[in-house]
Amino acid sequence: MSTRTIYLALAVLLALWVVVPIFLIATLAFSDRASVFAWPKGILPQHFSLETISFFFGVAGVGKAIGNSLIVAGLTLLFAVLLGAPAGYALARYRFAGADAYRILILLTRAFPLAILAIPLAVRFINLGLYDTPLGVALVHTALALPFAVLVTSSLFLGIPRELEEAAWTLGCNRIQAFLKVVLPLALPGLAATAIFAFVISWNEVFAATLLTLRERTLPAFLLTALNDSPLPFRFAGGFFLIVPALVFIFVIRRYLFTLWGIANR
Amino acid sequence: MAGIRVENIVKLFGRVKALNGVSLEVRDQEFVVLLGPSGCGKTTLLRIIAGLEHAESGRVFIGDRDVTALPPRSRKIAMVFQNYAVFPHLTVFENIAFGLRMQKALPERLRAQVERAATLMHIENLLERYPAQLSGGQRQRVAVARALAVEPEVLLMDEPLSNLDALLRLEMRAELKRLLAESRTTTLYVTHDQVEAMSLADRIAVMNAGRVVQYDEPMKVYQEPADTFVGGFIGSPPMNFLRLPVEGSQARIQSLTLELPSSPPGKDVLLGVRPEDLEAHLEPQPQSFPARVLVVEPLGSHLLLTLAYEQQQLKVTVPPDFAAKSGQTLWLRPQPGRLRWLDPASGQSLTHARQA
Amino acid sequence: MRSERYIPYLLVLPSVIFLLFLFAWPLVEALLLSIRGSEGWTLEHFQRMAADLYFKDAVKYTVLLAVVVVPLQVILALCMAMLLGGISKGRDLFLYVWTIPLGISDLAAGIAWLAIFTERGYLNSFLQALGLIQEPRLWLSYETPAMLFLAVVAAEVWRATAIVLVILVAGLQLIPKEYNEAAEVFGATPWRRFWKVTLPLLMPSLQVALILRTILALEVFAVVVALGGRNLPVLAGEAYFWYNAYQNPGVAAAYSVLILGISVLATLLYLRLMRPRQEVAA
Repeated sequence: MSTRTIYLALAVLLALWVVVPIFLIATLAFSDRASVFAWPKGILPQHFSLETISFFFGVAGVGKAIGNSLIVAGLTLLFAVLLGAPAGYALARYRFAGADAYRILILLTRAFPLAILAIPLAVRFINLGLYDTPLGVALVHTALALPFAVLVTSSLFLGIPRELEEAAWTLGCNRIQAFLKVVLPLALPGLAATAIFAFVISWNEVFAATLLTLRERTLPAFLLTALNDSPLPFRFAGGFFLIVPALVFIFVIRRYLFTLWGIANR
Repeated sequence: MAGIRVENIVKLFGRVKALNGVSLEVRDQEFVVLLGPSGCGKTTLLRIIAGLEHAESGRVFIGDRDVTALPPRSRKIAMVFQNYAVFPHLTVFENIAFGLRMQKALPERLRAQVERAATLMHIENLLERYPAQLSGGQRQRVAVARALAVEPEVLLMDEPLSNLDALLRLEMRAELKRLLAESRTTTLYVTHDQVEAMSLADRIAVMNAGRVVQYDEPMKVYQEPADTFVGGFIGSPPMNFLRLPVEGSQARIQSLTLELPSSPPGKDVLLGVRPEDLEAHLEPQPQSFPARVLVVEPLGSHLLLTLAYEQQQLKVTVPPDFAAKSGQTLWLRPQPGRLRWLDPASGQSLTHARQA
Repeated sequence: MRSERYIPYLLVLPSVIFLLFLFAWPLVEALLLSIRGSEGWTLEHFQRMAADLYFKDAVKYTVLLAVVVVPLQVILALCMAMLLGGISKGRDLFLYVWTIPLGISDLAAGIAWLAIFTERGYLNSFLQALGLIQEPRLWLSYETPAMLFLAVVAAEVWRATAIVLVILVAGLQLIPKEYNEAAEVFGATPWRRFWKVTLPLLMPSLQVALILRTILALEVFAVVVALGGRNLPVLAGEAYFWYNAYQNPGVAAAYSVLILGISVLATLLYLRLMRPRQEVAA
């Protein structure tokens, strides 16, 4: 066997390691109740059925939790881009006193455990009327997504030559026009990827969402708190439903994966 | 159309003085080249005129308008960038139309202007393409067409040919010259390439270390450099400088004595002479001095000789069939009337000393 | 014209204000919460935390998880990254598949591995098929901490190796090919090239990956809860239980301060250990 074949075999093995658990939970999500509890189980699905999935969606509170998750993730996306992109632009285009300090601040925020933010905020949000609201959760999720948004958009804007903007100025644009007509169209795909990434961060986050809500649960918070007293089919369907959008998003932004993670971690 | 006038521009980058009180006037319809080595401040000066950078002090006028405080969009200029800065998300047509759209030009005028500019640059068949589908040379043409389409009062060009390969650069150089001679747009053009400067300019402003050291017609700059920097920077190979002792109002090279135009301040004087202005002979000649050949480099159209006169080296060009070997002694006769005399202490030309 | 100076500050300001309110302020609040009682300053929360039945196990398992999971992830990711260099066809496909877990939440990962480790799950079915067991066995109960621990390790390695992989692949792309080619010209074997050229040059990326993964590993929560409830206590889980179930923000804050303390310690340790890398590389 040549080294090349061994490499390929190892790569396939690692790919299987990633894919098999996803495949298994998908199998369970699309089986009937009896197969979920069956023992022993075969690897392949026995009876394709929407019973488990429809049972999941039929549970009281799931619909609302999905709605809340969408609202929270949508708000997070909006806040992260609106707050992060201008800062990223400033870091990319201007040399200003405090730029390095700001970069360090951004990097530092990633070194703090979420627990230390979520607990005092949960206490404070009760006073502020933000406790148990999608807005409150979205604010905490924005704190998580913002550092990414700043660093990623900054590298995004760095990739757009400054001269393009200057050319627009000499051709009659003011700064805002030049940004809208030249920079924005070029940055749009990257900004979209940043937004999607912020969405996924929020969609997946469970710790803060659980601490900060009581009735207005997001989907992960709802699943987590219901975990111990819910039947297996409910858990598997929920787990599968959590994974699906994330898979789609990662597929959409795969071209930007390295900008998002590689540069954001520098 | 209008001229450009800058007065006493000072620009600091941190503690470094990038521009040290530069004043310059470009006449209406004139083509002026800012020439100098990298870091001399030429691009900074251009960007200050464009309004892309702001000087610590000094004023910029375009025509009669003081534009010092105006943003680039209000200066009625157009600029061609070194990397072209063609908008990648717009078609060639929309790129050329960009400035006109900002002026809210009427559709008929817009189309006519775009087509005229595109035809001038021979890219009228590329209008529907995107920049990614164009070669470097074609993008360059789009950049120039885009600048011309707005009919600016002055055209600013920042090393527009430096990203092209050598052959294309030669072609574009001639084309630009034809084009700007026709359009008669006042142009300020930055380059570090002295051949480009010589070939294009009505006048060349040679810059060094944040100052304009000489501002004159190309042949004047070539033949009568204001100082050793200009003589050394312009011409390839550069001007030779020989340090010679002074006797009264004459300088001496061995048996050869040469008249000085004015008496120099020191005991020595520098003779500046172009390599082609030294006539090489195999035998001793009147009005000549001996030098030993160190290196012979055949360059096709001529031979380039490196010779030593006492401890000093000099370069001489001779016809390709000239029989020179290294180690040989040649007799060099300086062409009278082509000699420059400079002060070795300051490097300034003796006749030119008042300038700069 | 001069007014342009404040433009960058204007652009940065909203995010700074936001981060002050949602990072700096809660940080201070958490510290205060943990050391302030009903009557003034107190260590009562920390004492209650330390005296709790679950405390010792929580510290033990959290640190143990970080110590086991992080090196596994880094080594696995390094192997994957090097493997990518040896594959020409389908490189992008493998890279995509391997990074899929990036989008998967810790909760979902926990649930996915629950499907494998649960009583009537795939692991037991597999063992039955091999004839090793007759009846389903419990793996995730209080009595089988080792197996529960193993399940958490598997789920964490499965989920978060991709993050390390992406950081390392991005780091590898920054290393100019010429270094490796030069080493090859001088006759270095692939193995030596990896140790003497690639690894030292990859050190900054490795450092980032290690620090980031350790901090995140110390926060492990949803995977553990999904797989074993409170059967495998961890620090973040305890903070959650104290806040939610016992309604005691003081002790919860004490736990969060402890997590922060261990994170800072680990980060400093990494920075110290990985600094003299010229000597390590030589």
